[in-house]
Amino acid sequence: MTDCTSAAIGHPPSPAKHRILTATYTCIARSGLARVTVEDAAREAGISRATVYRHFPGGRDELVRETVGHEVAHFFLDLADAVATSSSFAEVLTEALLHAHAAVAGHEVLQKLLATEPDRLLPNLSVEANRLLPPIAAFLTPHLEAEDLRSDIEVDAAAEYVARMVLSLVGAPGRWDLTDRDEVGELVRSEVLAGIVAGVAPGL
Amino acid sequence: MPTITMSDGATPGTSTDGVERRVLDAAMRCLARWGVAKTSLDDIAREAGVSRATVYRAFPGGKDTVLDAIVADELGRFADDLAEHLDAADDLEALLVVGITFAARTLTGHDALQYLLVHEPEQVLPHVSFGRFDQVLAGAAALVAPHLARFVGEELALRTGEWVTRLVLSYTMSPSPSYDFTDAADVRRFTRSYLLSGLDDRSTAAPPAPAPPPA
Repeated sequence: MTDCTSAAIGHPPSPAKHRILTATYTCIARSGLARVTVEDAAREAGISRATVYRHFPGGRDELVRETVGHEVAHFFLDLADAVATSSSFAEVLTEALLHAHAAVAGHEVLQKLLATEPDRLLPNLSVEANRLLPPIAAFLTPHLEAEDLRSDIEVDAAAEYVARMVLSLVGAPGRWDLTDRDEVGELVRSEVLAGIVAGVAPGL
Repeated sequence: MPTITMSDGATPGTSTDGVERRVLDAAMRCLARWGVAKTSLDDIAREAGVSRATVYRAFPGGKDTVLDAIVADELGRFADDLAEHLDAADDLEALLVVGITFAARTLTGHDALQYLLVHEPEQVLPHVSFGRFDQVLAGAAALVAPHLARFVGEELALRTGEWVTRLVLSYTMSPSPSYDFTDAADVRRFTRSYLLSGLDDRSTAAPPAPAPPPA
């Protein structure tokens, strides 16, 4: 399970698994998390139930969990693409937060499930998102290494810190308006980077 | 599980307060053992050593009312204990270290909460991401803001309270290889590295007003 999710952000699952997960996602979008069945997913993918079980021996629950993991991994892969052209680390993070917040708000299936089946969605979503902490930190590491870091900062620990802040803010913006570029810039300078990158101070 | 202290001299069962306390304590032990779904009102009554009717008299709505009362009771106790710790801090670093460590220890040492996280995550996780997480952040920030305001000014206190709440939840719900938030030395290192530099300029720009409360 861990393998499949962390694989999804680095190298994608096998074509067969990918096809089943995509089909399951379509079914969930149509009928919700509670009503999706292995049967539906198999029919949507055009394969037998036995084939689905061969790839996902845990059946329905594993399928739902892996589908959520697959979508979360996709979300962050898109995010990585969206920030690929940013130059400074502050800019990468500002773009990432703006993009991620807009993507969550505009994600129809996610918003529908949050409104109708939060108790089914959120446990899976939180677990899958937290499983992505290491790959997100790994993605951030080269960006961090390119900066002039404060002397007490260890790159690994700092990358993990930034990944946690990003995940938390994507999950709930709190008092920050994550549609406002200036505000996001202030957030990045004060709460994310002031302790990490030399010369960055809040409020500049 | 936090130790629950009975008010001195009160004989459980002789007053409404005594019965309520006893039922809440018993319910908490049931939750730590069996979780929310499998705990029945009968279990709670048996554990408390009272009749079902007595539980209903104290909590007319039954199990749901008991559960709501538990949450309110635990949050109230947490808020009181946290305030006591924070009141004793005399600089920003001490305040952050003591508050973060206390919160992390309470969360990780809470038997019922830890049972639910493992066996019934749907009871807990909806409160710590997306929709309801904003409410949790706002509530926790309001709780610590008056303490933070002593050092960072009113304006930044709520924002800082949210920031710290995010971190406590993140580092306790998914433990980190770099920092153990229940360890005060780790939290001090963390606070110096990541928190104080984001706050320093602000606290010097808005020094705490040591004005005594109006007489």
